[in-house]
Amino acid sequence: MGQYLLRNLLQRLVLLVIVSFLVHALVHLAPGEPAEVDPNNPRFKPEDVAKIRAAFHLDEPLHVQYGLWIRDLASGELRSFKDGQPVLPKIWDRFLNSLPLFVCATLIVWTLSFPTGIHAAIRRGSTYDRSTTFIAYALISIPGFFLSYLAILWVVNTFGVPVIGMHTFGNEDAPRWFRGMDRLWHLVVPSLMLAVGGVAILSRYVRTQMLEVIGQDYVRTARAKGLDENTVIYSHALRNALLPFVTMFGLMLPELVSGAVIIEQIFAWPGIGRLSFDAILARDYPVVLTVTLIAAMVTLAGTFLSDILYAVVDPRIRLS
Amino acid sequence: MRIKQLLTVTPIVLVGLLVQAYFWVPTYEDQTAGAAQRLSKFIEASIGDAKLLNPALHADASSMKIVDKVFDTLLDFDEQLQLRGRLATRWQLTEKAYLTVLPGAALARGVVDDAAGLRAVIRSGIDSGLIEMPPGLLAGIEVLPARTLSIPAGDTGSVEVSVNAPARLQFDLRRVEQRFFERLRPVLGTDYAQQADYEAWHARVDEPLREPLLATLRERFPVFEHNPEIGFELRRGVRFHDGHAFDAGDVKFTYEAIMNPRNLSPRTADFEPIKTIEVLGPHRLRVVYKRLFSTAVNVWTAMGILPEHLLSDTVLAREMEERELGTAARDGFGMRDSRFNRNPVGTGPFRFVAWRSDELVHLRRNEQYWDGAPHYQDYFFRIIPDTLTREVEFRTGAADSYNPEPYQVARYRNDPRYRVYSSPSTGYTYIGYNNRRALFRDPRVRRALGMAINVDEIIRYVLHGEGERITGPYPKTTHFYPQDLAPLAYDPDAALRLLQEAGWLRNADGWLEKDGKIFEFNLITNNGNDKRRHILSIAQDAWKRIGVKCNTEVFEWAVFLEDFINPGDFDAVVLGWLLDINADQYQLWHSSQATPKKLNFVGYVNPRADALIEEIRLEYDTQKQIALTRELHRVVADDQPYTFLFAPRKNEVLDPKIVMVTADGGIEPLRADRRGELYFFFSRWRKLAHAPDF
Repeated sequence: MGQYLLRNLLQRLVLLVIVSFLVHALVHLAPGEPAEVDPNNPRFKPEDVAKIRAAFHLDEPLHVQYGLWIRDLASGELRSFKDGQPVLPKIWDRFLNSLPLFVCATLIVWTLSFPTGIHAAIRRGSTYDRSTTFIAYALISIPGFFLSYLAILWVVNTFGVPVIGMHTFGNEDAPRWFRGMDRLWHLVVPSLMLAVGGVAILSRYVRTQMLEVIGQDYVRTARAKGLDENTVIYSHALRNALLPFVTMFGLMLPELVSGAVIIEQIFAWPGIGRLSFDAILARDYPVVLTVTLIAAMVTLAGTFLSDILYAVVDPRIRLS
Repeated sequence: MRIKQLLTVTPIVLVGLLVQAYFWVPTYEDQTAGAAQRLSKFIEASIGDAKLLNPALHADASSMKIVDKVFDTLLDFDEQLQLRGRLATRWQLTEKAYLTVLPGAALARGVVDDAAGLRAVIRSGIDSGLIEMPPGLLAGIEVLPARTLSIPAGDTGSVEVSVNAPARLQFDLRRVEQRFFERLRPVLGTDYAQQADYEAWHARVDEPLREPLLATLRERFPVFEHNPEIGFELRRGVRFHDGHAFDAGDVKFTYEAIMNPRNLSPRTADFEPIKTIEVLGPHRLRVVYKRLFSTAVNVWTAMGILPEHLLSDTVLAREMEERELGTAARDGFGMRDSRFNRNPVGTGPFRFVAWRSDELVHLRRNEQYWDGAPHYQDYFFRIIPDTLTREVEFRTGAADSYNPEPYQVARYRNDPRYRVYSSPSTGYTYIGYNNRRALFRDPRVRRALGMAINVDEIIRYVLHGEGERITGPYPKTTHFYPQDLAPLAYDPDAALRLLQEAGWLRNADGWLEKDGKIFEFNLITNNGNDKRRHILSIAQDAWKRIGVKCNTEVFEWAVFLEDFINPGDFDAVVLGWLLDINADQYQLWHSSQATPKKLNFVGYVNPRADALIEEIRLEYDTQKQIALTRELHRVVADDQPYTFLFAPRKNEVLDPKIVMVTADGGIEPLRADRRGELYFFFSRWRKLAHAPDF
């Protein structure tokens, strides 16, 4: 077991290095130039552009630029092209902003999906099952950004309350309680919007898993033992149906870093998704590269985690 | 069993907890819920973030909005667009005129003896009335002795040539007089300047150096030279936000910062006509100009004054040390790299508090402001790139104002809960014809093409009504614009008649034809501007109706500039200008600017317009200058080098709870200054808890 973990970890480290090569090459080879040296900007004089290019090391060969990037990243000296701020603290700040949104949306997804999915599975073919199926597919098919706009317009027109950003702007002097509630309120719409797709998909999974398990012999045995229906479903069936979700949990980690680009963009949420999106548009290489590298790291960590979790919850699986 | 309850109760509790927060949040109608301080804050929503908060370096509209509040200028335009003192309390335009003494040169009567002799001749000319000199103009005549100096010859500057510059007479004038030397003509004669023999001033030089040296001498030692001067008296007791006193040194420093090539200031060209700035005392200084340039004083209305004590070379060097930069960063370290640009300190009505990239810029009122502190305590500049989000934030009271898109404006106009302010912008959109091409050389043809386009329809459908017709090159809100001039009427029949006069007749296929060739050309514009693309199609369709065949194409901005505009290789373009309030339109319309890479890329040439443009630059009398600009406007409108389409309206939607405080403490509705700038009175704005009835 210990040996397996060590080997696995080493493999992932090698993979990470390869990913960093690829990401670096890909970002630099993609068409376009950093906004600061954009040749299409008529205001820039060629000599200024040359000066800035030199300052950003854009004239060096790719492998040298790679070396400089890793060196600066390791020493914490890596700075954004856009505003010259250090990249790591910048990403950390944005990560902290994204965190409540992520936590809230995840909580909604995981608490809401199970009761709806299980209920639909138990009453398979009922009106409830059909309508949740219909709603789930509708929510999966409607683009999230469109739904978000509709939600924003509805809330604003009906209630006249702010829904954009992390808190009501201009509310900074209000008593602590008001401010706390205000922040909470601002989480509501974006996290619901972020969760809607997740709930729709996950509740489908839950329903399918439950249906599969309900027909199993041990469920019939449990019923034959005379256990009441709730115990049968929630203790015996659900525990076995949960297995695949353990894997999903590990794979959710990367979303922490990649963030919810579209939702953050629409709700003007200063999160990490928006940071990377803006950085890509402006070809802010240090930020794009670092966020991508961190995302790769977290992805590898996530799969690693789900491997372990799987072994932990499923006694049939042995890591070796 | 417990699991079932847990699975049902948890989501309900979670959603309930989230939704109840609604009851604690302020709404548009009740913005003071929780905190009455909301009324002392002004929140503006903007599309783009600021880039650099330094008046000498910034080049974008967002930075300008902030810089205007943090920094003061020496002068500005008042409500009626007249110059008004800010950091300067008094300013006076005078002039020093220089006349090079050319010994032996023939005068109207007699020859030049020496400097003193020439002075005596001129004096007696004035006394006898031969020279008509308005009383009070001439303060004195001084003799400046001849000088010997070394001048680099040739481009490399490696060779120095010794030059004997002759003596000069310096005339002190109490105001700028552009016709001063013409007044001296009865004494000097008409060809005095032509007698200057620059070759005799220097030792012989070899052939390749000779011509450039002569050109340098002619430029540096003109026979007649005007040096207009502005004497500024500065406001006393003004302090920067950090408490340091403002003085004349800061003004001189600001000028030097702009001219320093290291700083790459985008304003260098505006300040190029300045020869020197002399500090005469802590609150007095004199700006000397190289030549007559009547609009030169305007640059002081747009230039915030920088604090020398925070940006001087020694301070920058110290900052460089403190920040422990790498060698590469230290190498080019200058004002552009300074922390100051993210933490500006000025003398303006608001002082800088914070700037969070892509989120907001926060300013707080300067309680010690010399012109009285503004009513608002805080000013927030919020960055909201998304159009819908700006609208939503405004409608929920989380922003007090923004610039709505044309299609949003109608919604606000019909809603009493909001107030829309609107004025024509100082820019305009046009169709420019390449006047060099045979097809467009005839003004009748250009006029006919303009008359075939229904501009009112463009305004109605492309701009959703948010535009105004214009007639010529000057912005409609300025004095320079002749308001009585009617725009080109939409009349396709008259257009056809004009084209017939010019020799274009309809052929069997319905196209206009002349000498066996049909009227066909390409109309192009840049990518990324929907309005221009729509105009392209509308014009194409309108011209097709009168038998003109037009092919349209859209290009990427860089390609558009480099392949078509800069070399002047196009037939017609749809483009727009964004203008300052400036009488000087030399760059746009003077024939000397019709060369590649210059702004008169349509190749407009009219000697009358050239003369007017030059005269406008020389005319220091505002009323006369306005008359000249209006004439220029008419001349250009007559020639129709462009089809002047429209000036888009600048719209601003505000919460009607915002009012303006009058001098006696009452309130009145907001209003804009003459050029339509709503924020002109910003210091007097205040927000009430409920919208008042006026």
